[in-house]
Amino acid sequence: MIMMTRRLLMVVSVMLWCVAAVAADWPEFLGPRGRGAATDQAIRTHWSEAEGIAWKVDLPGRGASSPIVVGDLVVATASSGASQDQLHILAFDKATGRTVWHRRFWATGRTLAHPTSAVAAGTPASDGKRIVALYSSCDLFCVDLAGRLLWQRNLAVEHPRSGNDVGMGSSPRIVDGTAVVQIDCQGDAFALGVDAATGEDRWIVPREKRASWSSPLPLTTPDYGACVLLQNPRGLNLHRVSDGKMVWSWKGECSGIPMTAESGSMLHVPADGIASVSPKEADAKPAWRSTKLSCGIASPLAWGDSVACINRAGVLCIGDTANGQLRGQIRLAGSFWASPILAGNVILAANKEGKTFLISTEGEPKIIAENELPGTFTATPAVADGNVYLRSESMLWKVAAP
Amino acid sequence: MGRGARRVAVWFCLAVVAELSNHATVSAADGTPQNVAEAVTIATELAKATGTTGQAALAAQADRISGIPADWIVPCLAAFSDATPAGGNWLRSGIERAVERAGDSLSADALMAVVADRKQPARVRTLVFGWLKDRDPSRAAGLLDGMLDDPALDLRREAVERKLAAVAAADEATQKAAHRECLAVARDVDQIERVAAWLSEHGEKVNVAEVLGFVRNWRVSEEFDNAKGVGFAKAYPPEAALPARPETEQWKPVASADKHGAIDLNAAIATKKGVLAYAVADVVMPRSGPAEVRIGSPCAVAVWVNGKPAMAHEIYHASEAIDQYVVTAEFREGTNTVMVKCCQNEQTEPWAADWKFQLRVCDPLGSPLATQPAHEKGPE
Repeated sequence: MIMMTRRLLMVVSVMLWCVAAVAADWPEFLGPRGRGAATDQAIRTHWSEAEGIAWKVDLPGRGASSPIVVGDLVVATASSGASQDQLHILAFDKATGRTVWHRRFWATGRTLAHPTSAVAAGTPASDGKRIVALYSSCDLFCVDLAGRLLWQRNLAVEHPRSGNDVGMGSSPRIVDGTAVVQIDCQGDAFALGVDAATGEDRWIVPREKRASWSSPLPLTTPDYGACVLLQNPRGLNLHRVSDGKMVWSWKGECSGIPMTAESGSMLHVPADGIASVSPKEADAKPAWRSTKLSCGIASPLAWGDSVACINRAGVLCIGDTANGQLRGQIRLAGSFWASPILAGNVILAANKEGKTFLISTEGEPKIIAENELPGTFTATPAVADGNVYLRSESMLWKVAAP
Repeated sequence: MGRGARRVAVWFCLAVVAELSNHATVSAADGTPQNVAEAVTIATELAKATGTTGQAALAAQADRISGIPADWIVPCLAAFSDATPAGGNWLRSGIERAVERAGDSLSADALMAVVADRKQPARVRTLVFGWLKDRDPSRAAGLLDGMLDDPALDLRREAVERKLAAVAAADEATQKAAHRECLAVARDVDQIERVAAWLSEHGEKVNVAEVLGFVRNWRVSEEFDNAKGVGFAKAYPPEAALPARPETEQWKPVASADKHGAIDLNAAIATKKGVLAYAVADVVMPRSGPAEVRIGSPCAVAVWVNGKPAMAHEIYHASEAIDQYVVTAEFREGTNTVMVKCCQNEQTEPWAADWKFQLRVCDPLGSPLATQPAHEKGPE
């Protein structure tokens, strides 16, 4: 009985720890629900190779995917081999950077990718119990937090003309127990919702045969509950997560890479500039459209009554979500593949050349720090517990909390 | 029963359930095979996995494999030979956990024997080589010395790198000899280009297109309509005449001088949008039987070998790469006719301007097989 009580106490402790851990997770692309914001977290202002680094680890292969933080783990993906057909999921101890487990799989689909992308381009997603990872080869793996393979879907085997030789870049999501993937390409294009526990289909919907690199965005609406927003260059489709039914759509020019940001029940759609659309009325005229707010590769960031984007010239522009009016802009430097995120009231913008700009959002945007690390950075940073995780092509860095 | 007592009872029941669940887990972990034959049977079943349902049972079987002792791991590797795409990964997920558990008790000698056995599937040998490298890097590196012609291309790649590194500080003659040897055996394009560049810098000009075996001499048709992509599925006269060899006497001979053997149709015909063209080449094969047709193009392409359809990909401007599309086709000994249909769409972006393709015929390792008859020879 004493043993049992002890064990029980341990279980309760672990459960309490898990609850605490979930609160600080960065479990998917652009963080919780893909909003790119950790407004309750303050991060270190200055770092470099010699300052503020808690740990760094070599990765066994290439990747443009972001790290995610789940409980005690930092999870990253990579691909390696001459034909990049070795797919990796790695879990590191958040505190030390020690490898907790490392799972390797063979790609079953195409592994060609443009040099600026990678086979491991999509960021994994976790619901706190399991992790799903989607690769450009259209392989979807689900492992538990101990690295045990729970299920896999070899989507290019199931749909032989799926994939894209530029490299698929969409990240999966787990919403209400459904893992959602968006396979947009010129061949077999579809969106799939699978039971995150079993890997079995819940629904599949065909998509227009058109390439895009956008990721599903979780949205909850009063009328339809949990949904995902799917974007391609021709418009937006909102699908109910429970059955895949399309409940709303908007036809209009959209970017193929940066994904829509949501705030205040409005969708800020990267197009020729940004169009602000209400997800209530089908094909509604945008509430506003601004060509001064222009996105390059990076997705826009929306928080409060602000929306920010980085254009192809490396200029960060911040606008008002109510009317699209430009509030301020500032020229950064370099090219931006990683999307800007918000930590506290500071925007992090990591350029490809290894420099991460911290920009104050109080008043006119102002650069408060430029922190440089070696390597090529195309992955969007992650933030958890005030720590910043930066992934270069071959290395993962943890910048310690202040 | 008072509230306090009820609460204690509830906690007690929860603890019992937790305890039983824990035992069930232990029991599952204890479901490791009783002997090596059972382990091999489970591995074989795992390797056959297909479908999308019932994956919890596969995960449980992988758990069982993960618990096998070190000396059962190598016998289980045989199951990879007939593995399905999903089965290979299920088995790998179990086996690699067993390898992790085994640590140094997994015999390096046994691993070396697997790597050295060229009858084993290439991917299994590459996998095992990785385990060996983790345990005994120097013995693994030593194996590479005999792998310059290895059928496992990832191992061959490492062997080439090791050979080049070994002569990096040697005199020029030794380095040249090593680079020549590596050029002959390398199959990865980036490695071939690196070795060729070194030789060229040291006075031995290398024609990369020739090393890679691209078919460089073609006869190109006039243009046909492909507005709105209608032409891809439409059989214009050269295609409609199949399986007879198209009449190519009036077609324009085009020889590629590109280092990757590309046939540039913008240059050969005109820079146009919404058009397509056919190209025909005769290739000589040393023997009859299957060979790989490897084509790369940013445009939609279809290929016929001796009048029979070999492949069709209606993909426009989604990257291009050497050997982008690979298909196995039947060839006869001697002269064969290859026809390509290359379709340009109407995209106006600067990166969508290319209208071209490159093609070679190889064995499964990427060794070029086809030559061209004397009458088709173009520029060297």
